Amino acid sequence: MTAVRVIGLAALCLATTQAYALEQGEHRFNGFGTLGVTHLGGEDDGRSYGVQGQTNDSWRGDQLSKFGAQLSYGITDTVGVTVQATAKAQQDEWKPNLEWAYLSWQTNDQLMLRAGRLRSPVYMYSESLDVGYSYPWLRLPDEVYSQVQVTNYEGVDAVYTVPLSYGSVTFQVAGGEAKNRDYYAYDEQFDIDYGNLFGASVSLATNDFGTLRIGYVEADIKTDISGTVDVGGGMMMPLSLLSLDKEKGKFTSIGYQYDNGTWISSNEWTSRMIENDDMESIDSFYLMGGRRFGNFLPHLTYAQLDDNGGRQTSWTMGLNYQATPTVVVKGEYKRVDTQNGYDGVFSRNAQEVFDNAVYDLSAGTRGAPARNYDGDIVSVGVDFVF
Amino acid sequence: MKTSLRILGCAALLGMTALAQAEVAVIVNPGAAKAPSQSEVANIFLGKDKSMKGVDIKDWTPAKESFYAAVTSKNESQLKSYWSGLVFTGKGQPMASVADEAAVVAKVAAEADAIGYVTSAAVNDSVKVLFTLP
Repeated sequence: MTAVRVIGLAALCLATTQAYALEQGEHRFNGFGTLGVTHLGGEDDGRSYGVQGQTNDSWRGDQLSKFGAQLSYGITDTVGVTVQATAKAQQDEWKPNLEWAYLSWQTNDQLMLRAGRLRSPVYMYSESLDVGYSYPWLRLPDEVYSQVQVTNYEGVDAVYTVPLSYGSVTFQVAGGEAKNRDYYAYDEQFDIDYGNLFGASVSLATNDFGTLRIGYVEADIKTDISGTVDVGGGMMMPLSLLSLDKEKGKFTSIGYQYDNGTWISSNEWTSRMIENDDMESIDSFYLMGGRRFGNFLPHLTYAQLDDNGGRQTSWTMGLNYQATPTVVVKGEYKRVDTQNGYDGVFSRNAQEVFDNAVYDLSAGTRGAPARNYDGDIVSVGVDFVF
Repeated sequence: MKTSLRILGCAALLGMTALAQAEVAVIVNPGAAKAPSQSEVANIFLGKDKSMKGVDIKDWTPAKESFYAAVTSKNESQLKSYWSGLVFTGKGQPMASVADEAAVVAKVAAEADAIGYVTSAAVNDSVKVLFTLP
């Protein structure tokens, strides 16, 4: 009888302190990583491909391999701190990055506020961009995932989650800036600033019919992308390729994921527009489907990138093997083609851009014509989490 | 002391036979303010609904397998993948987990907003069965 009373009392006491997030003094340590190599065949020697141009005709580990660790700590029952550090290779050089460092405050059952350095909520997989385990490929579809390169920002966001009878809906609003970030273009690294960054997304997760996410991000972009080119006879001149002075960039992403345990599908459509860059919007999408056979998952992806008349298309065939619940071995073959003299995600340097422009302006009498590219990309690797 | 040890051993044996049958009961505190439906239980254990506190079992037991398969349609690797998507995006942390079913029952019995799942044989009078899963 006494014991029952004590239990009842304890229950009353505990009922008033709900654990929204981590409890005070509690900490969680998690890690993730990818170990993979990738190779581009078919294209001419030395041509590179990829978001950072790190895929070429030698087997390289720096495009895909990365490691990360994350520590979360409960300062109080509702206020916590999270830090995530990654090690990634940029142009053959391994660099540590502080991807995340923020304070979070779970104000009630539904609303969480965060402040600090956060992941920019650009794509469907933005916030777990480095966690290969969270998506089916080794290489995220480059056609889509090369569009915006900034991965984090300094600012605040609010995440509001409402449980529904058939799932849940999450609203996210973010604001801040990202200054002095690296931007890879024309085979070089440039500085880029994103000011007045604003993002909003809504994600509807259903128990039986998959997850739909719609996101929008805009920012004032400041960058000066230029190169030095040989204008003829060995005379070197600077060439401005893209100069933006706080022009507004707008990015929209619509994504849909489905996974019923056997069938899996992942799809995303994006559109990127920069005001006053004299270009039409750049649209891209991918469609992916796969089926699990025990621990094996064969999958197929079609991706397309449309950029002012140029087009890149690709087919990817992959086979994943779930070695343990936290380790996936992945293999992929990706065939890429471009049309209408478009470089797509292949790297074209400043000199080539210049030669192509001269060819067009001189009606084909000088310079070199823009051409199409194609390649066979093979990737093999392992994703893990702990 | 001897007797209680024997009782414990007996309970362990019972627990093992129940494990083989793996009929799983979703349990709440007798004083629970509400009785969530199966889809609400799914939301609680997927970290979407924080109005109740899910109590998970640490290791991947047959009961855990049946519970997640029936309520969330997820197997072990899918659940792992789901949580890595939340953990590494800062959107959530998995439930607090305890070592075994006896600890789940004890925790649910002690906390009014706690909810757990155990094999039916592990259920006792200190908790209320919300529903059972075959």
